[in-house]
Amino acid sequence: MKLVINLLQALMLILGAPLVRGVISRVKARLQRRRGASIWRPYSDLFKLLRKEDLVPPTSSVVFRIAPALLLGATACVAAFVPVVWPIGLLASRGDLFLLVYFLAFGRFFLSLGAFDGGSAFGGMGASREALVSSLAETPFLLALTAIAILASHADISGMIGWTLQQSFFNISTVHILAFTSLAMVVLAETGRMPIDNPTTHLELTMIHEAMVLEYSGPSLALIEAASAVKLHAMLALLIGLFMPWGMASSYSGGELGLAFIFYAAKVAGLIFVLALIESGVAKLRMYLVPDFLGVASALSALAVIFTMLVKR
Amino acid sequence: MGLVAIATSKILSSFSVFLFLSILLLAVARRISTNVLLFGVQSAVITAEVFATGFQEKLAEIYVVAAMVFVIKVMLIPRAFFVLTKKLKTVHDVKASTTPTQSVFIVAFLIYLSYAAVQSYGQEVRVPEDGLAAAVALILTGAFLMVSRRKALMQMLGLLVMENGIFLAALLTTFGMPLVIEIGIFFDILVGLLLMGIFTFRIRDTFDHLDVSKLRRLRG
Amino acid sequence: MILLSSLAIPLLGAGLMLGFANAKIATRLALLIGAAEIASLGAIVWQVHIRGVLQEGRYLRADGLSAFFLLSIAFVFGLVLVYSSGYLRHMGEGRFTSARWFYSLVFLFLFTMITVCLSANLGLMWIMMEGTTLASALLVGFYNTEGAVEAGWKYLMVCTVGIAFALFGTIVLYLAAVKDGVKSADALDWLSLMTAAPRMAGDGHLLKLAFVFVIVGYGTKIGFVPMHSWLPDAHTEAPTPISALLSGVLLNCAMYALMRYDAIISHAIGSGFPHALLLIFGVMSMVVAGLLILVQRNLKRLMAYSSVEHMGIIAIGLGVGGPLGLWGALLHTFNHSVAKSLLFFSAGNVRHNLGTLRMDGISGMSRTLPQTSAALVVGSLAIVGLPPFGLFISEFAILSEAFTQARYLVVTLFLITLSVVFGGFAHHLFKLLCGQPVRQPERSRLIPSEYTVMGIAAFCLLLFGARVPYVFRVLLQDAMAVLR
Repeated sequence: MKLVINLLQALMLILGAPLVRGVISRVKARLQRRRGASIWRPYSDLFKLLRKEDLVPPTSSVVFRIAPALLLGATACVAAFVPVVWPIGLLASRGDLFLLVYFLAFGRFFLSLGAFDGGSAFGGMGASREALVSSLAETPFLLALTAIAILASHADISGMIGWTLQQSFFNISTVHILAFTSLAMVVLAETGRMPIDNPTTHLELTMIHEAMVLEYSGPSLALIEAASAVKLHAMLALLIGLFMPWGMASSYSGGELGLAFIFYAAKVAGLIFVLALIESGVAKLRMYLVPDFLGVASALSALAVIFTMLVKR
Repeated sequence: MGLVAIATSKILSSFSVFLFLSILLLAVARRISTNVLLFGVQSAVITAEVFATGFQEKLAEIYVVAAMVFVIKVMLIPRAFFVLTKKLKTVHDVKASTTPTQSVFIVAFLIYLSYAAVQSYGQEVRVPEDGLAAAVALILTGAFLMVSRRKALMQMLGLLVMENGIFLAALLTTFGMPLVIEIGIFFDILVGLLLMGIFTFRIRDTFDHLDVSKLRRLRG
Repeated sequence: MILLSSLAIPLLGAGLMLGFANAKIATRLALLIGAAEIASLGAIVWQVHIRGVLQEGRYLRADGLSAFFLLSIAFVFGLVLVYSSGYLRHMGEGRFTSARWFYSLVFLFLFTMITVCLSANLGLMWIMMEGTTLASALLVGFYNTEGAVEAGWKYLMVCTVGIAFALFGTIVLYLAAVKDGVKSADALDWLSLMTAAPRMAGDGHLLKLAFVFVIVGYGTKIGFVPMHSWLPDAHTEAPTPISALLSGVLLNCAMYALMRYDAIISHAIGSGFPHALLLIFGVMSMVVAGLLILVQRNLKRLMAYSSVEHMGIIAIGLGVGGPLGLWGALLHTFNHSVAKSLLFFSAGNVRHNLGTLRMDGISGMSRTLPQTSAALVVGSLAIVGLPPFGLFISEFAILSEAFTQARYLVVTLFLITLSVVFGGFAHHLFKLLCGQPVRQPERSRLIPSEYTVMGIAAFCLLLFGARVPYVFRVLLQDAMAVLR
């Protein structure tokens, strides 16, 4: 029974990801006083891409061909770590917060390799930029998670969520606020949203993630798009689980699970709205300012870790 | 009035967190208007804390002080800054001498220092450690802002943040000094700001810029 | 009533002055108001001597110490007022640079300083101390030149930050007092704190913390190194009468405030810690300022650093304590004010007759400006501490007390610095006075307002060098009794 529910959680994350993407685009469009495309549009995009032909540059090697699959595989594993309605993920184990960070890094690594392998100039540019952003984002990511882990005295995500569930909402601690701010900035950087990267840009020189996938087409592109959507959804779910998990089910009853699902949907909707607001309201940072942005995130997360020692909460 | 009591206790236990966040954001804000807004938010948090203290200690004087803080520091001073910025027609950039990353690390270190300082004196006075550490951190951050920001307006703002810290320390440890003295202190701050405003105009008129790091004619 | 009237006269005078646009009428009115104020201050000093402590309401009190400082303020202010009546002929007529604004701000400045000396409440003293900064900032930047604006801004900023630290120290002291049972309404009253001081001995940590912040804060206004950065600029760029007021009166007021705090803390935890701090700051100020005097190029800046040095000497006097140390320090505040005023008056004359204060641009002054040169020589001999001038007596008292207490390091540094300063002044004066005159001045004689005050100042210095008048000795005894 536990297995079924965990499997359903992971599938919810994976299959619901394009929907999250679609809702974000729709909300952004509404904020910009446009009608916007339907929220199911990413699904039809994915199906369309799956039917198309997969064109491969003649100079590329096998890396180019397997990178999308590796990326999707790694991201799907990440989705399996993160709980949605039930405090324990499918692949939960001790120390899985490190696994989470490094599975994401693994996928990103192969995507960058594939971009290099594609042989286009923009692929190389995007990959090198992505390397900069992700190397700088790794520190705050790990430190913020570590800070919460120290507070919760658990090194696995499920344990941390379980601990947070027992805290009262009003005991806002400095550590949590700092870790949340830092993790939010990391989420923006990792998933390639504003102000780090504009996901809807068509100007190649301003791209980071999009530049890496310029050479891909057909099913490979579908896999990559799906992977980035799953990554976004998983990280949002991680934010919700670590900082606002109240409402998660505590027993196997269908009623509680249904209620937990509704709570989760509401929280995701809230986060989506905030994300859309940020994306519509902030200008993209120039590349040399991105290290400053992530440096602030690093400082905040380092402070969070230091505060776990000072604040006995 | 159970709800008010709950709100009061929650405010008193968590206000220092928001003050820390405000000074961290002050370290990275790059436009004068953002800085002034953050100062306003910081003063609003302090006002809430003063009201909460007044409710808990049941002293009427503290309500008056809270009202003064609100009117002067949340409404008057930010508005005066905005008017001044517009009249001076100055560039919005803060002209910091440290990058945002460096500033945040420095402020983080200052926060750590203030906790260390409060640890040694915290036993002498029966004060919540977080609040006193927040006050000392405000003072240190105000000094840091005055030193590292090269615009005259930002030096004024650093001074105001420092005054916020001192006021908060006074409030937390002594629940306010005699009312007359508090009023006198506020009056002093207001007149001081007025004079500094006059001087910024004079600096702009004589030097054609507001960069105080270039005011180095007198040396030795 | 008498205390309140001495406060009301300058305050109302400040407002009244703004109504008189004609410079001549404004000057005469200012002299009148000044005379009234000096008379009122003299009356206070007399009353305090007869009746002991005067108290009006909860916030105003005059005791022996206040009386001494008030007398000093009255004397120097009188000299400055008479000098400015002639000095203002040099000033142009700008929108805010007119005689009425000058006198109005000067009276406001005087009001704040007298209130500092008459405050019974440490909080009021702080408020008025900050008030002195605010009142004098516009005076420092009076000429609106680049240098004046920069000096005024630096003055405003550095002193406000310093005073903020002093506020923190005052709060910590208040906290300690309330903790030890003093009623919160009385915990800022100086007399109540003095009587309650022995009870506060248990809070040594808090009191030490308070004193550190207070000495850093008020020390900024006094001009202790390393908080002195505003002083040379402000004293150089301000108009000459204002420089004399800043050096002669404001620094003394700040020292007065520090003395009040020192008394409380010493009564509570013994004078070891506070006096050690005073000695450290005093020696640092004296030595650093003394060395910097050697490399000065601007006449008024030279005198500003000399003020820093003498404030260091006064702090050393307070720090060694004892009967002679305190006596010497208090007498030195007065002597230094008079000598510094004389020096600044001569500098002002140099400025307006030769057009510059840069010492490498002036030479042969003994031939072109004989009277001013004489005043400059007299003032310099006095300020370096040579007999037969008054500063010799006060410095000698401090030195002998230091010797008696076997503080040989302090004595050595003191004597070395005095020699260095003497050498520096001699060197600068030789360059100014001897040699071929570079430019011809407008006029080489002093006008009555100038030579009267310079003569009075020189006479006073000689008088105090010969024998401290009986009146003063009595006042000094009263002042010292207050601090015991």
